[in-house]
Amino acid sequence: MSSLGRWQRLRPALIGFRDALMLPAWVVGLGLVGVGSLARDVGYPVEVAVLSTILVWAGPSQVLFFASIAAGAAWSAIALAIGFASLRFLPMTIALLPLLRRPGQGVGIQILMSHYVAVTAWTEALRRLPALPPEQRPTYFLGFANALILVSALCTYAGYYLAGAVPVPVAAGLLALSPIFFMTSLTVGARGFGDGLAIFLGLALSPVASWAIGGGFDLLAGGLVGGTIAFAAQRWRRRARAGA
Amino acid sequence: MTAPIALLDGPWWPYLALLLFAVIPTEMWRWLAVAFARRLDDGSPWLEWVRLVATALLAGVVAKLMLTPPGVLADVPLLVRLAAIAVPVAIVILTNRRVMLAVVAAEAVLIGGAWWLI
Repeated sequence: MSSLGRWQRLRPALIGFRDALMLPAWVVGLGLVGVGSLARDVGYPVEVAVLSTILVWAGPSQVLFFASIAAGAAWSAIALAIGFASLRFLPMTIALLPLLRRPGQGVGIQILMSHYVAVTAWTEALRRLPALPPEQRPTYFLGFANALILVSALCTYAGYYLAGAVPVPVAAGLLALSPIFFMTSLTVGARGFGDGLAIFLGLALSPVASWAIGGGFDLLAGGLVGGTIAFAAQRWRRRARAGA
Repeated sequence: MTAPIALLDGPWWPYLALLLFAVIPTEMWRWLAVAFARRLDDGSPWLEWVRLVATALLAGVVAKLMLTPPGVLADVPLLVRLAAIAVPVAIVILTNRRVMLAVVAAEAVLIGGAWWLI
């Protein structure tokens, strides 16, 4: 293939990279500044903080990891809570892959692309990809998602060192970035009654579970109970409406 | 603080812990999705339940971080911490999903409140 042809094939990646830098990468990066601060708080090296962004690539999992260590949770409880918090990637990835799949595409590239599925990359990809010709989508997506990870890794690194170098109120602000960012994206992502109830119950049950159970399994228990009640209430409400 | 598993402790422990207890529990779902992508119905009630449990769990993480906060965040009065969670919710609802504004306003409340009160 001529160099011009190769350039043409890589162009979507550059456009994706640029699109991500316009705003989404900075929003995600901002949310991961707090992870750097949390990692420093438990005394883990900066490399682990940055690697957590590159390899885990899921803000909630990273926050759960460092915050649970700070709280003294059992390792088994940490892994279970993270596993459950990440379960959403299963349906999310399943929903995204049809947009990225091409005839003759290997499993390796699909596994690589699936790694980038996280809240922002996913919502943005679902919004942007359908407008592109199918053969350009994988390249565009990889350019877009790698810009997100690159900026986020730099932000995690910055958060690690900022935490010790700024006045106490600002350091507190950095630690609060992750919960503030999650609360915001939860509210943005909420679609209807069931989601709203799940958010409310998750918030309300957390102190109850922490008092009644503790030990790190409290988060898992609160999520299971809150999510199941929201699920049942949503079904019941739909049925009541359909019957009315 | 959770202590390292004694048998595996050493300078590499934080990396190993990250791999075992954060990377694998997160990444496995993305791999499973690739494997099962063609077999699962996207609109199935099971996936909806999973999504709601994940949502409640994430909200629980928020509450835990704000009610029993790590590090210097604990020095910030409880009322300010709770306001920093309520403000972005209100802004997202009232301004039709303006994420950046919500995050910046919440941070302003938290840092401003902390500056004033501690």
